[in-house]
Amino acid sequence: MDKPFVYIHDLNLGYRNKAVLKDLYWEMNIGESYAIGGESGTGKTALAKAIAGLVPYQGNIEINFDGQRKLPQEVLYVDSWYQFKNLEGVANFYYQQRYTSLQANDTLTVHAELVNYGKEKGLHLDQVEPILEALGFATFAGSQLIELSSGEHKKLQLVKALWLKPQLLIIDQPYTGLDTASRKNLNVLLDQVAKEGVQLILISNDAELPGSVQSFAEITDGKLVKVAALASSTTEIRLREIPDFLKESPLYSTSDMVKMVNVNISYGEKQVLKNVNWEIKAGEKWLLQGHNGSGKSTLLSLINGDHPQSYANELYLFGNRRGSGESIWDIKQHIGLISPEFHWYFDPTATVWQSVASGFYDTVGLFQHLPYTKSTQVDELLAYFGLTENKNELLSTLPLGKQRLVLLARTIIKNPELLILDEPCQGLDQQQTKYFNQLVDELCSNGMTLIYVGHFESQLPTCIEKRILLEKGEVKVVESLNTEILS
Amino acid sequence: MANYFNTLPLREKLNQLGVCDFMDSAEFLDGVSALKGKKLVIVGCGAQGLNQGLNLRDSGLDVSYTLRKEAIEGKRDSWKNATENNFTVGTYEELIPNADVVINLTPDKQHTAVVNAIMPLMKEGATLLYSHGFNIVEEGMQIRKDLTVIMVAPKCPGSEVRAEYVRGFGVPTLIAVHPENDPQGKGLAQAKAYCVGTGGHRAGVLRSSFVAEVKSDLMGEQTILCGLLQTGSILSFDKMVEKGIDAGYASKLVQYGVEVITEALKQGGITAMMDRLSNVAKIKAFEISEELKDIMRPLFQKHQDDIMSGEFSRTMMEDWANGDKNLLKWRAETGETAFEKTPAGDVKIGEQEYFDNYTLMVAFVRAGVELAFETMVQAGIKPESAYYESLHETPLIANTIARKKLFEMNRVISDTAEYGCYLFDQACKPLLADFMKKVDTDLVGKNFNEGKDGAVDNRQLIEVNEAIRSHQVEQIGATLRKAMTAMKAIKTA
Repeated sequence: MDKPFVYIHDLNLGYRNKAVLKDLYWEMNIGESYAIGGESGTGKTALAKAIAGLVPYQGNIEINFDGQRKLPQEVLYVDSWYQFKNLEGVANFYYQQRYTSLQANDTLTVHAELVNYGKEKGLHLDQVEPILEALGFATFAGSQLIELSSGEHKKLQLVKALWLKPQLLIIDQPYTGLDTASRKNLNVLLDQVAKEGVQLILISNDAELPGSVQSFAEITDGKLVKVAALASSTTEIRLREIPDFLKESPLYSTSDMVKMVNVNISYGEKQVLKNVNWEIKAGEKWLLQGHNGSGKSTLLSLINGDHPQSYANELYLFGNRRGSGESIWDIKQHIGLISPEFHWYFDPTATVWQSVASGFYDTVGLFQHLPYTKSTQVDELLAYFGLTENKNELLSTLPLGKQRLVLLARTIIKNPELLILDEPCQGLDQQQTKYFNQLVDELCSNGMTLIYVGHFESQLPTCIEKRILLEKGEVKVVESLNTEILS
Repeated sequence: MANYFNTLPLREKLNQLGVCDFMDSAEFLDGVSALKGKKLVIVGCGAQGLNQGLNLRDSGLDVSYTLRKEAIEGKRDSWKNATENNFTVGTYEELIPNADVVINLTPDKQHTAVVNAIMPLMKEGATLLYSHGFNIVEEGMQIRKDLTVIMVAPKCPGSEVRAEYVRGFGVPTLIAVHPENDPQGKGLAQAKAYCVGTGGHRAGVLRSSFVAEVKSDLMGEQTILCGLLQTGSILSFDKMVEKGIDAGYASKLVQYGVEVITEALKQGGITAMMDRLSNVAKIKAFEISEELKDIMRPLFQKHQDDIMSGEFSRTMMEDWANGDKNLLKWRAETGETAFEKTPAGDVKIGEQEYFDNYTLMVAFVRAGVELAFETMVQAGIKPESAYYESLHETPLIANTIARKKLFEMNRVISDTAEYGCYLFDQACKPLLADFMKKVDTDLVGKNFNEGKDGAVDNRQLIEVNEAIRSHQVEQIGATLRKAMTAMKAIKTA
């Protein structure tokens, strides 16, 4: 009988003195593709990285590649996070950098990156074209890596993987940051490569998986257990009582939070926003939607004082014309913001406590001492999120889901007038997502203004009452919703 | 034009060299108010120009750019940088007459021409801001008496100035007011406000003078910052190749090693850098760095003397007049060195390995930083100023070497620094010839601890630690670094 394609026995793996995988035994047969699900923090990513040989482990992992198959005898692990460097090899970037126009190229273009990758792996460029088309990524060929949003970086990672077609392809959170259409197209592409002989391991709790994935497993107590289907958690969660300081209603000095009049943003020839008009009144709850690359992040950067081109547009924030002598810190003090990009660029040297505390000052990292009241509030909020035991750990050493919770706490710590949540629950499991959205509902019931960006309609807070839809930089729809439409 | 420093009586020379005050954050409580509503016009839109302008505007100030006609008509990069970020751009004639503050961020070499062109256009009582004092001090540029002349010099590359600002911090900054040009006594208030506008006030501000800034800046860049890093890198690489170490490995060790080593320097001074070595290696590095200090002391002193007397700038300006003949020749020669031409090998070098296998560079850095600091202080420069121009900037320059070797370093630094760097390098190499003959691969290329049992004499170790820790650069450094603790690590390797 043939040896299994992947054969693991006695696998043990610890993370900071805690055993994560214990005497794990597993066989994956030739032709099989798996989805591995379960709660966050159970060791899925650790297992995937061990199979790909990226982390040290104890025990045995055998991959029996098929010499007959033409596909590369390789295990490719696609990380749920992305990395890139500038042309000088430095990976120090900052959040607002991609909004600034600079003539000297800082990073490679998508095209150049693909040319390099193809050269390294011996792949033909003409074979990548259909993949780019299918994922709607072809128009990004000339974009620099620094200009890409998190969803676009995800696509670049997927393009490379689908182009390489390794015998074993492991994708950690394949759908993170992708819009609904891209998710469907990705599944079609994954089925195609599976047909050509690529075996898949997808780490995801998602319900809509490619048809080629027919086997499911979860990690329980450090062991991988085969299951009939991935369970979507149905346990009812009860919200704990929120800290008192978050129950106070915001004091608005004006009811006009944001007003944009024919706003245009472009980089050279490329226009990112076209004649955008949008008004947000105090207390409104907005849903902002649009495909990857439709201009959502740019639109939000205007509101958060992060975009250099706001000075040449007719834009009013909190009652004042932008560029009338205010500083970006004056603007930010009204706002609590989180986005996948903000997370990516966040200070890796800050502890959990410092990260949350920095939300009071809108800084990335903490540069001043907190007065007693504020510092108590940080402690209270950490306790509320169940993060007290992590408070002195470096943010960057926590699992991604936990990091995201910390930054969510940072976003609301000052009980801001305007909450901007750009895909806030990316990387959280369903339970955590539900929990957070309930919290958003509660905060908003006290009068907070909200802009929420989310691709998945099942994962939205219920308080949303208005929707704006962007398409290729233009406002397509502005409408009021009754909550029925969303459920 | 006469060298300004040389026109001063000794009393006034010492007076200006001695301006040095590490400012308290309470001095910045007025924020940007001294510049609020004023028209700020920046001359030049390169990395410093663009990034400082972005910060100032984000602080609520009114910023525009003026460029030469040719740059505007030719739609050069500087024009694109400014217009695409929605700044107003105009010619000197269009913008200078209405400017309250004109900020000169062009390269040294262009200063005389630029200032001669803009000065007649400036309105009565306006302010001229420099980020380097060469033009005033060494070239002796005379500024109209009604104008205020100040300096604000962020001690980091332009990209960092922006990156630190938007995260809510800033970069360490040096400010000064030219005593010959402060008719209304507003210079200091405006310099402080400019500092707040660029975010510098959060990371430590040193009040200096044009004279102190120039004399210390030139000394630092010629000796430890660029000169010695270049000499040390080339000698180390050549030694490893001579002793049969793989050239790719040697190239990588040298290219990235200096950055990894000086990152420890940045975080905790010479003490932290030396503490990364084993005890045996530390004692060895201490001993050879003492020897290196003795060998190089006369050279460091000569550089400082030539800077003080104006001899250095005189010869360099001769080369400017000569179409940069020497500079271009030396630049080409550096491009031809074996280190420069050998690409870094595809080998993994661990962080600790950079210390263990490159003890020689640790010794070079300690010797160079201490010597530069000591020589400056002996020449009348205050310890705080000397710290900035020696220890503080070393990691920043090391980072440019990690990016693309010496060529990159010499491209990024000013032509003035580059010129001085070559002068030092040419004199230093022969001076170290005998010393290098004794150096073997245990100091560079292989792990120093290999084959040693690691035992040391307690008393000797205590003495060495004491000598390292009690040096004045360490004591002043500990105070200054407290103000910049939040500085980010720059990592390439």
